[in-house]
Amino acid sequence: MSTTLALARREITGLFYSPIGYIVLAIYLLFVGLLFSLLVLQPGAIADPGPMFQWNHLILIFVVPFMTMSLFSEEYRSGRIETLRTSPITDFQLLMGKFLGAMGFYCVVIASSLIFILILSLFGRPDYMTVLTSYLGLVLMGLLMVSIGLFFSACTQHQILAAMSSCVTLVALGILFQAISYFLGSALGVSWAWLRTLRHVLRYLAIEPHMVNFSRGILDSQNIVFFLTGAGLFLFLTYVVLESRKWR
Amino acid sequence: MSQPAEIVVEQLTKAYGKFLAVDNISFAVPKGMVVGFLGPNGAGKTTTIRMLTCFMPPTSGTARVGGFDVFHDSLKVRKNLGYLPENAPLYLEMRVAEYLHFRGRLRGMDRGSIKKRIDEVTELCWLSDRKRWPISKLSKGYRQRLGIADALLHNPPVLVLDEPTVGLDPSQIRETRKLIANLAGLHTVLLSTHILSEVELVCRKVIIIGRGKILAQGSPEELKQQCAQRGSGARLVLELRGPADQIRTALAALPGIEQARIISDNAVCAVELSGKLDGAMREQIAAMVQQRGWALREMRSAGASLEEFFVQITDPGAAAAA
Repeated sequence: MSTTLALARREITGLFYSPIGYIVLAIYLLFVGLLFSLLVLQPGAIADPGPMFQWNHLILIFVVPFMTMSLFSEEYRSGRIETLRTSPITDFQLLMGKFLGAMGFYCVVIASSLIFILILSLFGRPDYMTVLTSYLGLVLMGLLMVSIGLFFSACTQHQILAAMSSCVTLVALGILFQAISYFLGSALGVSWAWLRTLRHVLRYLAIEPHMVNFSRGILDSQNIVFFLTGAGLFLFLTYVVLESRKWR
Repeated sequence: MSQPAEIVVEQLTKAYGKFLAVDNISFAVPKGMVVGFLGPNGAGKTTTIRMLTCFMPPTSGTARVGGFDVFHDSLKVRKNLGYLPENAPLYLEMRVAEYLHFRGRLRGMDRGSIKKRIDEVTELCWLSDRKRWPISKLSKGYRQRLGIADALLHNPPVLVLDEPTVGLDPSQIRETRKLIANLAGLHTVLLSTHILSEVELVCRKVIIIGRGKILAQGSPEELKQQCAQRGSGARLVLELRGPADQIRTALAALPGIEQARIISDNAVCAVELSGKLDGAMREQIAAMVQQRGWALREMRSAGASLEEFFVQITDPGAAAAA
C-alpha cells in the first residue's frame, strides 16, 4: 500500500512540477467559468448550479487526456519504465499508483470549481446536498475518464498519440453516442426494433444521461454502476497491456 | 570455484521472433566479486541483464539471483538487486534527495532508514553537495552517479550496472571505476561494458559475449594466456640500427623464433618477432644484437593484450585479415 501511495504522490507532484498541470487547471477553470456565467449566474434565476455540473464532462473530455497522456508513455520513452519494473513492485501496484495519482490531480482540478459555488452562495442559497451529489458524480465520472486515459497511455510511448486516442474515445462517449442516439430517435422516426435497441445501447454508453441525475441530487445505482464498471474494464485492459509488454 | 555463486545463469535464451538475441548462455558470478560482462554493441549484454533484473522473461533457460529464480521469485530477486540501466533514466523534475526518497519508498524501506541511507550513498557517490539540486540541472556525470546511488540505496547484495561510465569525462570515469572497485567484497557486481581497459582495471573475472553466445570467460590473466596460446599472441618488437635483411636473417635463425618480420626500415629498423619469447630468449637476443654491433634502441613485448583477444574472438574475420 505504501509503495502504491509513493507512486501516486510522485504522479501528483510530477503534474504540479510541470506546466501541463497548470495549463490543464487554467483551461478547466476558464470553461467552467463560462458555463457558470452563461447558465447559472443569471439575474433572477434560481441558485441552482445543476447545469454547470450536467455539462461539465464536455470540458473534462478535452482536459483529462492531457492529464493522463504522460502516465505510462513518458516512462516508456525515457526508459524509466526499466527502473520501475525492476523495483520490487507488482504491476498491480504500479497501475494503482499511477491511477490514484492521476485521480488525485483530477480531484484537485474539479475541486477548483468550488470557487463558483462560493460565488453563487453570495447571491443565493444553493442546495448543498445537490452540490455534494454533483461532485460525487464528477468523481465517479473521473474514474472512467482517467482509466481510459491511463489505458491509452499504457499502449504507446508517444504522449500525443495517447492524448489523441483517449480524446477520441471520450468524445465518442461524451458527445457522439448521445448525438447519434438523439438523431436515430427523432429525425428518422422509424421504429425498427434493432434500431431502437441500438439507440438504447448508445444512450446507455453516453456520459451525459448518467450525469443528469447526479446534478439533480439523485443517486441512481444504474449511473454509479455504469461509471464503476467502465473504470474497472479499462483498468483491467491497462493491466493486460502492461503484462503483455513484458513478453515482447 | 570456492565461493558460492550469487548469480547463476543456465542455458538462458531470448528470442525476438526468429532472431536469437541471447543464445543458450550459461555462466556464474561468485559472491562478492566484480565481474565484467564484455561484448561489442548488440552482442546481447543488455538483453541478458534485462532478464537477470526481471525486466523481461527469458524465452527458455533459467537464471537465479541470490538463490531466487528470476521468473518464479521475481519480487524477491528485485528486492536483492540494485540495477543501473543504460543511460540512468531519471525523473528530471525531482530533486536528488527527493528522488532517492521516492526510490526507497518503492523498495519498501521505512523513512528512518531511507534518510540514513540517503546520507550514506550520496557520500559514497560524491553527491553530498548536490542533494538539494533538481536532477534536470545535474550534468551527465552527476546523473550517472545518482543512478549508482539509487542502485546502492537499499544496500542490495547484488548490483547490476549497465555501462556505468558511458558519457562521462575521463576524470569521472576514473572516479566511477574507483567507486565500483570499492564495492567488491561487500556486493556482487555484474558490470556490463564494451570498454576493455575498464574490465582490466576493475574486474577479477571477465565474461565475453558476442552475437548472443558466450565466447570466453575467466580472469583477465587467464584470458591473456589463452590468447598467447592461440599463437598469434605474444610478440616482441625490436628497434635497432643496422642493415635490415641481415638483422632479419640473423634473428630468424635463432632457435625458437618462428617468424621475424621487418615492420619499418628507415634510419632505424623495427623487427617483430614471434615464437618462444621467454626471459632466456630475450637475453639471448640482446646478447646477439650486441655482439653484431647493432645499436639496440628498444625491445618491447606487444600483443597478448585483452584488447587483442577481444577483437580476435568477437570478430574472427577481422583477426584473420590483420
